[in-house]
Amino acid sequence: MARIYQVPSHARGWLTLAIIATSLPQLIDGPWWQSLLLLLVLGWRALVDRQRLLLPGRVVRLALLLATVVATWQSFGRLHGPEAGTALITGLFALKYLELVGKRDAYVLIVLGYFVCATILLFHQGPLAALYVIGCLVLLTASLAGINYSDTHARGRQHLGVAAVMVLQALPLAAILFVLVPRVAPLWNMHLDSGQARTGMSDSMSPGQVSRLTESAELAFRVQFDGPAPPPSQRYWRGLTYGYFDGTTWRQARPPGWDERDTLYDGRGPAPDWYRALRNADQGPAWRYRVIMAPSQQRWLYALAVPFTDLDGLALARDLRLVADAPVTGSLGYRVRSVPAAGAGATLDGAERTLMLGLPEQGNERARALAADWRRRYTDDRALVNAALGYFREQPFFYTLEPPPVAGDTVDRFLFDTRRGFCEHYASSFTFLMRAAGIPARVVAGYQGGESNGDYLQVRQYDAHAWSEVWLAGRWVRVDPTGAVAPDRIELGLRQAMRNRSADQGDGEGAAFGRLPVLFQLQQWADYVDFNWQKWVLGYRQEEQRDLLERLLGAVTPTRIALALLGAVLLVTSLLALLVLNRRRDQPARPLEREFRRLRQALGKRGLGLPEAVSAAGLEAAVARRWPAATAAAGHWRRYFEHLAYREDGDPPRAERLQLARRRRALIRALRG
Amino acid sequence: MVRNAWQRWLDRRLPRARQVRLDQRRIFILPTGYGYLYLLVSVLLFFGGINYENNLILGLCFLMIGLFVVAILHTYRNLSGLILRAGGGRSGFVGGQGSVEVVLIARRRGHRALWLRWLDQAAQEASVEGGEELGVWLNLPLTRRGALRPPRLRVESRYPLGLLRAWSLVALDQVCLAWPRPQESSDCPARGGDRERRAAPTGQNGSEEFRGLRGYVPGDALTQVDWKGFARGRGLNVKLFEEPASGRLWLRYDLLEGLPLEQRLSILCYWVLRLSDENRPFALTLPGAGLAPGRGGEQRQRALDLLARHGEGD
Repeated sequence: MARIYQVPSHARGWLTLAIIATSLPQLIDGPWWQSLLLLLVLGWRALVDRQRLLLPGRVVRLALLLATVVATWQSFGRLHGPEAGTALITGLFALKYLELVGKRDAYVLIVLGYFVCATILLFHQGPLAALYVIGCLVLLTASLAGINYSDTHARGRQHLGVAAVMVLQALPLAAILFVLVPRVAPLWNMHLDSGQARTGMSDSMSPGQVSRLTESAELAFRVQFDGPAPPPSQRYWRGLTYGYFDGTTWRQARPPGWDERDTLYDGRGPAPDWYRALRNADQGPAWRYRVIMAPSQQRWLYALAVPFTDLDGLALARDLRLVADAPVTGSLGYRVRSVPAAGAGATLDGAERTLMLGLPEQGNERARALAADWRRRYTDDRALVNAALGYFREQPFFYTLEPPPVAGDTVDRFLFDTRRGFCEHYASSFTFLMRAAGIPARVVAGYQGGESNGDYLQVRQYDAHAWSEVWLAGRWVRVDPTGAVAPDRIELGLRQAMRNRSADQGDGEGAAFGRLPVLFQLQQWADYVDFNWQKWVLGYRQEEQRDLLERLLGAVTPTRIALALLGAVLLVTSLLALLVLNRRRDQPARPLEREFRRLRQALGKRGLGLPEAVSAAGLEAAVARRWPAATAAAGHWRRYFEHLAYREDGDPPRAERLQLARRRRALIRALRG
Repeated sequence: MVRNAWQRWLDRRLPRARQVRLDQRRIFILPTGYGYLYLLVSVLLFFGGINYENNLILGLCFLMIGLFVVAILHTYRNLSGLILRAGGGRSGFVGGQGSVEVVLIARRRGHRALWLRWLDQAAQEASVEGGEELGVWLNLPLTRRGALRPPRLRVESRYPLGLLRAWSLVALDQVCLAWPRPQESSDCPARGGDRERRAAPTGQNGSEEFRGLRGYVPGDALTQVDWKGFARGRGLNVKLFEEPASGRLWLRYDLLEGLPLEQRLSILCYWVLRLSDENRPFALTLPGAGLAPGRGGEQRQRALDLLARHGEGD
């Protein structure tokens, strides 16, 4: 008969705590029934332990399992995928606890726990999340230590100590593996498709509806330049271009009959003509930088005009922007070289030109009339653009984040009636006017500016911006009509501009952006930590690893990596072995033994070597021979030591130990005198 | 063949001794089944981390592997330094169980959740904290007569994480005596004073004749003390009995002619037990050894040991 090894009771507490801690993030993020399930299981277990209830039979367990599966299906519509999978595995984790009897069940439970820990990291990747998971690992390890120590005298506390020490000792090894184990490309494609849209840029723009995203201080991405960053007025981070306008909404568009292959080049296959033309114009000064995107759940990436990259995992679009191969679900880092002069290589012919001039058949007649008027007056396109910018500058346009909503002919209503709006309104109406005047134009959406923090820039959601590009003299030229109305917005950024405005006007409009200096500093500091976390931990991929290893090892060859890995692991393991197996550390020495040893060592330092097995009386005699003056003090110490050592009731209390220590110090002092 | 080579290698590497201290020469260590499962989980997490391009999941995987390596050190540490000393032994009859004591001594560090076992027996679990000693009695099935050396004792520990088991095969220099299995026989292989071959009918204890008193000497059996006289103030005296001629028996090996050796010993054993139960004095004569007349537990023990050890000298 196989013996069932029971889970000892002093281990149960840790097991329960580990379950609660590892499930907690999913209880917060996931559907409500998960908390209910865990509460049910914990309650049931508590009653079983008090012998009020029996463990559920097979039927009940099966029913609960089915209910969990059905609830997962109800909540997510499927059972696979990261979110449904996480819900399912957390549910199983709870259910397994319900049927915990023997050691074997506990092992299964703990294995499930490791997977639940991994699922936490799918959705939370900050430094705190990492610490939290390490904490969960300590609890799981404490449970393991508990179930492997079936002695009834064991106390729960010591398991946590053992686990914490072991995890702490494992950390240096983990760090070495993290740095040196080669990163390989994903074996098959997976991405977190959460189905939830996040706030951020959208793939269409409808001026007239107030956009919320300008108010959010959430981080969009960070940029680190090699060398100095361009001035704020040059930081136009292009994300999307809108080529099609239906009268209310601007959208991304391709000329009819074109597909993604005509507008995107991802580095595979022969380069299309437009890409080669851009490459040929690749000359002149360039900005080199690294962007770390926050998860956006979108494919488009941000970069300064005419971005070139190694096209690894991302593609260059014909409208001079970068597109990732898959939606950005985690933080994503990429290196860019932006060459402003390469814009000269762009082409605009045929169907694409028609698209860039396209307007709805009717609507916004007043704007069309204004454009026609300008066209009659200026034959030169550049002069016409300047006239339009002059119009925005001279007419009473007003920059505000809270424009009155407009409907119908939104361009006309904005240009001639309300004249209050933010970047989208200006970019939209300016582009409309240009197209109406026969100049190809498009709206560009992205971010403008960025706040410097340490050696990098933070670009936040409130830096979102829209501007225009017009086709002048064979290339796309950036025109920002918002800058004509509110130059502050471009030079100082939205936050500063609003702060100035509210200082001028005394209204509360900018209050949302004003921050307490201390909090602000704290926030900047936290962001700095976060940035380096993103850069060195989350963003440590193949390329970064290659760079770092090249610096560390000289050249990166498989042999060198293998040797370095082996050498480092062996070195750290030997150091740990010295630490763990050192016999001097694990003396369970009694306080009195320690006291005795201290005195022996102190005498040794003063030239009186004594054998380890010397008795207190022997020590006294030796001291008296060497330092006759200290005879009294030595006798004093010896008598008290023996008094404490031969009493029956175990170790002496603290006060008496201190008294003994005082006599020891008195003895040492007497040696000098 | 292989088994013998293994045993020879073990005997060279870990020779028998009265006391053994476990050190790196004596400790073996390998992952347990759960340890392999744990490594498999780490590998799965590695692939998960690679596929989701999630460095933190990779980090978790690496931390788990680091923990495994640290667990090797801690599991080894838990066994290393443990001292095992041969303790006492309890004899038994062939076919029954004897037992021997193994004393676990922890010098400076504790040794937790140790499993001691040999052969196919269920393991005994024990923990000793630093500075403590603990005696563990282990049963030993007695399969043949004589002084048995216990097989190698397997000392195993999976503490602290159960990912690895460290073990040693300890051969302690101790013996457990297996007495012959008693075999009932109506003929007592004995010569009494009156040459009577039959045992006297199971008489009462009073079959002995009272002879007189003598002064008490320390060491006399308390059952023989004349308590009644002591209560009457006559001092502490011991009653002396005349042993009846029929009561004093010489159990003799050579009287059981024609029987195989083990059977002779079994019959002698039966009579040793029976005579002891009846508290009758007896003596034992074996080829090359003998036991002077006597009675009581001590005599019984000596007689049984003599029977157990018979034939071992040659």
